[in-house]
Amino acid sequence: MKDIQAILNIVFKKDLFEYVQIDKDFNVVNTSSNICKYVEDIPQRGLPVFDYFPELVGIEEEMHNLFIHTEETYSLESVCKKAYYVNMTIDYYDENNLFILLHDITSMTVSSQKILQYSNESILVNNRLQKILNSQNALLFCTYENDILYSNAQFEDYFCTDIMIDYDIKKLNIYQYVDVPLDDYNSLFDYVSTKEEYIYINEDTFILQATSINHSHKLFTLTKVTKLTDKMHIDLLTGAYNKSYFDMRLKRMMQEEGDFVVVVLDFDNFKMINDSYGHQVGDSVLKECSSLIKDNMRKEDIFARWGGEEFLLLLEYQNMSDIMGKIERVREIIAKHTFASIERLTVSFGVSARQEEDDIDTLLKRADEALYEAKESGKNKVIFKK
Amino acid sequence: MNNKGYLKEMIRKKILLLGDFSVGKTSLVRRYVDGAFDDKYLTTIGVKIAKKYFEVAGVEYEMIIWDVEGSTPSKKIALGYYKGASGAICVADSSREETIKGLERHKEIFLLENPKGKIVTAYNKIDLLDEASKAKILLDENTFLTSAKDDDCVEEVFLQLMRQMVV
Repeated sequence: MKDIQAILNIVFKKDLFEYVQIDKDFNVVNTSSNICKYVEDIPQRGLPVFDYFPELVGIEEEMHNLFIHTEETYSLESVCKKAYYVNMTIDYYDENNLFILLHDITSMTVSSQKILQYSNESILVNNRLQKILNSQNALLFCTYENDILYSNAQFEDYFCTDIMIDYDIKKLNIYQYVDVPLDDYNSLFDYVSTKEEYIYINEDTFILQATSINHSHKLFTLTKVTKLTDKMHIDLLTGAYNKSYFDMRLKRMMQEEGDFVVVVLDFDNFKMINDSYGHQVGDSVLKECSSLIKDNMRKEDIFARWGGEEFLLLLEYQNMSDIMGKIERVREIIAKHTFASIERLTVSFGVSARQEEDDIDTLLKRADEALYEAKESGKNKVIFKK
Repeated sequence: MNNKGYLKEMIRKKILLLGDFSVGKTSLVRRYVDGAFDDKYLTTIGVKIAKKYFEVAGVEYEMIIWDVEGSTPSKKIALGYYKGASGAICVADSSREETIKGLERHKEIFLLENPKGKIVTAYNKIDLLDEASKAKILLDENTFLTSAKDDDCVEEVFLQLMRQMVV
């Protein structure tokens, strides 16, 4: 037995091999002299090998089979024994004994461990970075060739994961949400690189920013500010949108196809209410009437306060007579409503529909003229100026 | 009695700690066997064996604990390690979703090699989670929230597995 070990050690020019000989009952028969470098106590003849090599617990059947299938071996790789790593190979020796060869693989295992350690740490760092990136705003990373290289989880949540699976840039046109016509991400970058841009996607508002990275890549950051901007755009007294929000929505609708009307409405004789009942009552009437109008609007309609007792509506339509009927109904509802602090209030409406040749000014001007006509012709009316 | 002072006919049970890398398998073993903890991450390679003695209903047992290197679908561990195990503690890092998803894979491979084997699950590193996140983890008698760092439920996991194995 010692000869085998000695030969192996000579061949490899190192003390790489130790052995344990065990009998059919798996008790220690003999060991090489240096075996104690792998075990706490020197193995005693006649004691179970499991006392010294608990790694062999559970493979009793396999070891027993080695006496039957004598050409077979059983191996356990990379077993840590004290300060060493060994490969354990169990072989048939003779009809009464098995031979456990322990091959010291410490040096190569330590090298592998360093590589594995480095690899695992890199994966962990990468995972942490990914988590950080995913907890940020929506991020989109593009090349100057308009290829999308990366998007984080927030981005994918907002902008359809199914689209992002194949990174189809033609379908993922974030730049189309900007108020000016843009063709690609390069033009989007040029447009927003020097300023922040608000974009509106479904019900949400985002601040879009762009940063150049190494002059080869572009990073777009979309910060969701829906709640914040909603507050910014709301007139605190009436709950209607403010004029700047109305202008922004009107500007966007002018760039899109589709029919819509602009309505300018003014509370009739409102100065008299203020003078007779005081400004507090005037405010409560503004509030109550605004609430009445909002309650009778569709979700997609824009109702805004222009200033004082003058308000605006932006209404898309499919059928002109339907939308005019709707405005007329709102007028009627207000006229029939009993207000908490005053009995009655009427409102005059001036309506204009967007024509091909219109710009914002001409459209608003016509609606304003229609309102003037409604007032002049007796108030509490809806006048339409095509 | 043998020279170690315990009964020679003591029943030996092999158990495995399975899970992805860096979920805290070695830390759980260290906490359970040595009562110690070190938060420095050192990758385990191959397998390292630890032992723990205990008694159930007057019978003495030696638990042979196999602290196996972490595995992932792309880096599998040697099937020989699974051989003859009576039970396994499948460990996940409760702060890393991918390691939780990996639990089923570890259980499946273990049961393939040891169809009668018993399994308990440890959602480790629970000290990194807030209460709301902890509440989302579904627990049962074989699933534990553990922290090797804070010594939370570590002994319970091992004891529950032993109870399952010796019934």
